[in-house]
Amino acid sequence: MSAFFAMVQRDLVVTKRNFWNFAYRVAMLPLVFIFVFGFVLPNIGQVPDTFPTLMFGGVLAMSVMVAGLHGVGIPLILDFGVSREIEDRLLAPAGPATVAYAKMVIGVLEAWLGGLIVLPLAWAIMGADLTVRLENLAYAVPVLLLAGLTSASLGLLLGTIFKPSQIPAMFPGFLIPMVLLGPTFFAWPSLENLRWVQMLVLVNPLVYVSEAFRAILTPEVPHMALGYSLLGTAVSTMVMAWVGIRRFIRMAIQ
Amino acid sequence: MLTTQARPTTGEILLGGRSVWDDLAGARRRIGVVPQHNNLDRSLTARENLLFHARYFGLPLGESARSTDEWLQRLHLHARADDPVAGFSGGMAQRLKIARALMHDPEILFLDEPTTGLDPQSRTLLWEEIKRLNQNGTTIFLTTHYMEEPDQLADRVAIINHGEIKGLDTPAGLKKLVPGQNVVSLELDEVNDSLLAEAIALPGVADLTVEMNTVRLFMRGASPDLGAIVAWVHRRGRTLVGLNLQLSTLNDAFIHLTGRGLEDR
Repeated sequence: MSAFFAMVQRDLVVTKRNFWNFAYRVAMLPLVFIFVFGFVLPNIGQVPDTFPTLMFGGVLAMSVMVAGLHGVGIPLILDFGVSREIEDRLLAPAGPATVAYAKMVIGVLEAWLGGLIVLPLAWAIMGADLTVRLENLAYAVPVLLLAGLTSASLGLLLGTIFKPSQIPAMFPGFLIPMVLLGPTFFAWPSLENLRWVQMLVLVNPLVYVSEAFRAILTPEVPHMALGYSLLGTAVSTMVMAWVGIRRFIRMAIQ
Repeated sequence: MLTTQARPTTGEILLGGRSVWDDLAGARRRIGVVPQHNNLDRSLTARENLLFHARYFGLPLGESARSTDEWLQRLHLHARADDPVAGFSGGMAQRLKIARALMHDPEILFLDEPTTGLDPQSRTLLWEEIKRLNQNGTTIFLTTHYMEEPDQLADRVAIINHGEIKGLDTPAGLKKLVPGQNVVSLELDEVNDSLLAEAIALPGVADLTVEMNTVRLFMRGASPDLGAIVAWVHRRGRTLVGLNLQLSTLNDAFIHLTGRGLEDR
């Protein structure tokens, strides 16, 4: 157990040391989205005044998701492929699964921290146009816990799939489609006229996280029933974590 | 495989009579691994690399701090203890990797080509430390391409070629396998196949190897007839650039055992 905490602490030390890099990486993409879609477009009349409320849950969910998956995935890709810094931890008596669990804990913490950094920015830019009703706040704890775990397990899975040379392609090839079909700028039920898209995006774990965020923050926006979004989050997390940990162990011991 | 980073597809690795895969955690506590590549944690300082390693191995904090200081001193790294290791030279990184592997006091230390790319000073320092560790009871498992290292440091040497052990003995024992223990090195202005065919037939020559324009003749018996060899070179109309008589080396044993001699030309 002490090895596990040491591994978590090692990553926290590194995150703290690089905090401003971390904050920049976490905040920039949501900030641009919030500024353009939540401030510029409503103010020039290109989208309705209710648009900031519609995207609020989505953009927070996306921030949490991207922060955690980036925090776990990219260091793993670089560790296994280039720096091999992780080897010292993989050779510890505790075994590689402990390293994977420690990475997931860090992913959860970074995911939450990402949300915490974006929340005041979103509030500052769109606050005047937001209609937030926290009537389902009791569900915030399971939603946040599951969102963090989804993000971390997706990071673990990606970290064991992609190679360092593929990182540049991950942004247009994976991250942006995941975020835009998240769905960040529309709610999932509004896809009912495009049934095949509505079904297709269900493979995207961010859909469940975004819809769960809408359910607890902006319930008047039509959203997937909280029970389904929580179930979807839990199932996708379990699948990704299971596959991710197995792949991780296989990479650690050939 | 010996460092538990890959599972053997066949065979078994025993440590103290027990398969390492039956007690992976126990085996890992008993071995220290220094890979050839730099896998230090570049986001941390030298001291943090050692302290975190100790904690990954579950060592108590007080003991970890003490042995961190001790190893930093012993491997001449204390002046840079709190610097990030990203800026360390090759020699410093190598010493820190060794210090890290020794933090949990392993019985066996695996060193994979530890002196590759090091300056002579760092290399000497490492050799001394390896000797000292071994004298204090640590088994050293050293892999290297520099034959003078096992010659000076090792009690037992395995010569491995294409994954197969070709010879396993003391350095002296391996050198005895070379057909002639007295070696005459002839550096000539030019070497060709007909010259070599004649050289192998010279009286007393048991075997030969060639590298560039240097022919190494492995001579039977105690004192080779250098005069006759020099006379033969002159008869062949070649110019003698250098001449050397020495005992066979581990390098010769390696070439002899792996068959990288005349037949490879």
